[in-house]
Amino acid sequence: MTSIKVIRGHQREKYADILDEYFRLRHEVFVEERGWKDLARPDKRDIDAYDNSNATYLIAVDQDQVIGGLRLFPTTLPHMISEFFPFLLRNGEALTGPSILECTRYFVVKERRTGRTDCRLLAAFQEYCLEEGVSEVTAVVEMWWLPRWQQAGFKVRPLGLPQMIEGQPCIAAAIRISEESLHHVRRLAGLRSSFLLREDSLSSALDQVPHVAA
Amino acid sequence: MSNPVFDHSVKAFDFIGGLDQLSSVQEIIDAMEQSFANFGFETFIITGLPHPDQRIESLVLLKKWPIDWYLRYTNKGYDRYDPVISLCRQSVQPFEWAEVNYDPESNPKALTIMREATEFGMKYGYCLPIHGLNGYEACLSMSGSHLDLSPRTKPAIHLMAMYAFERVRTVLQPPSHSNPLTAREQETLIWAALGKSAADTGEIMGVTERTITAHITSACQKLNAANKTHAVARALQHRLIRL
Repeated sequence: MTSIKVIRGHQREKYADILDEYFRLRHEVFVEERGWKDLARPDKRDIDAYDNSNATYLIAVDQDQVIGGLRLFPTTLPHMISEFFPFLLRNGEALTGPSILECTRYFVVKERRTGRTDCRLLAAFQEYCLEEGVSEVTAVVEMWWLPRWQQAGFKVRPLGLPQMIEGQPCIAAAIRISEESLHHVRRLAGLRSSFLLREDSLSSALDQVPHVAA
Repeated sequence: MSNPVFDHSVKAFDFIGGLDQLSSVQEIIDAMEQSFANFGFETFIITGLPHPDQRIESLVLLKKWPIDWYLRYTNKGYDRYDPVISLCRQSVQPFEWAEVNYDPESNPKALTIMREATEFGMKYGYCLPIHGLNGYEACLSMSGSHLDLSPRTKPAIHLMAMYAFERVRTVLQPPSHSNPLTAREQETLIWAALGKSAADTGEIMGVTERTITAHITSACQKLNAANKTHAVARALQHRLIRL
C-alpha cells in the first residue's frame, strides 16, 4: 500500500536514507530518462540549490521503496519560476505570497506510471496544501500534463503561453487548492481517507496499517 | 498589430477566460468557431479515441464537421485507418496533418481518407492529442484550407485547444460519479477477480464472510449480474474495477 511521507528540508539528517534514494531516483528520471543534462552529477544524485531547509518533500513510498515524489518551495523566497522561468509568465512577474508554493521535480518511477500512484501523489499534494492553508501552487510543466491534472479534478490557470523548453512545449501554471479537488482526486485514487504520513501523526497512522494492498 | 506575439496571447487568454461561462456544448462550439477562425480553422472535432470494441460516434464530445463527411467517416469506420488518429495515440505533442507519415502500401485507406477530407475543404490540419489518467485518450483535430500556423501562433492555438477540450469534458461530465459500486464493493470484486473466495476476502479485508457476500450480492444487483463471476466480468468490462 502506497503511503506519502511528508519530509521537511531541515529533517534531512533524520530521513537520510529515504532522501538519498529519492535524490538518486530524481537523477535517474530527470537526467537519465528525460535528458536534463545540466542536472547531471557524478554521484548520480539530483540535488540543486532548492534542496535546502526551506523545501518540503512529499515522497510516495511502497514497501520501503520510493516510487515517486515532488518538492514544494515557498514563493516568498527566490524560486525556480522567479529565477529561471520568468519568460514563461505573461506579465513577467512571478505569483508570490505566503499562501502560494511552487511545486517542482514531480515524478513517478517508470514501473508505476500505469497504476494509481499519480492519483495518490496528487491527492496527497492537495491534502497537504489544504492542511497548510495553501491557496495556490505554481509549477512549470510540459503541456501534456494539463489534461491529466484537470482529469484529476484540479483547477489550473495558465500564467502564460506555452514555450519550448528542451524540445517540449512547457507552461507555467497555477493550481488552485480546494476541498473539491481533493475529494475528486481521492475518489479517482480509490482512497476513502487520508494516507498522508506526517511526523506528528506517524505513530497513529502506523497502527492503522490497512489490511489490503491496492 | 505592432506586436503580434502579444496579440495572440491576448486572444488566447480572452478565449480561455470566457470558457468558464459556457455551460452547453453548443456555446463552446460557437466560441471555438469564432476564436479558431482567427487562425483559419473552419472545422474541428473533439473526440475520445475508440478501443477496438468501441465506435467513434459514441466518443465524440463536440464537432463542427461537414455532415456528409462525418457520416462517411463514421459509417466507413475511417477512424481505424486514419493516420491522424494513429499518430495521436503515439504522440503527446500537437502536430500538423502534414507531419503525419503513413505507408500507402500497408495502409492504402490512409491516403484515401486524407484525399477525401480535402474534398470537404479539410486540406490542412492541426491535431492535439490528449493522454489522460487511467489510459484515457482523446484528441482535438482542426482544419481549414488556409491556416495561419507558425511558431508565433502555435503556442496560442495549443493552449486554447487544451482548454476547449477541458471545458467540453467538464460540461459533459455526469454530475454524479458514474461508478455505481462503493469502494468496498469494488475491493471485493477485485479480490474475487484474483481468485479469492468470500472467506479469503473477508480475512484479507478484516470483515466477516457474510459482509463480503453482502457486498457481492449488492454489486450483482447494481450490475444486473447473475452471479459473482458475471459481476466481475461486467465490472472489468465497464472499467468499474482495475486489477
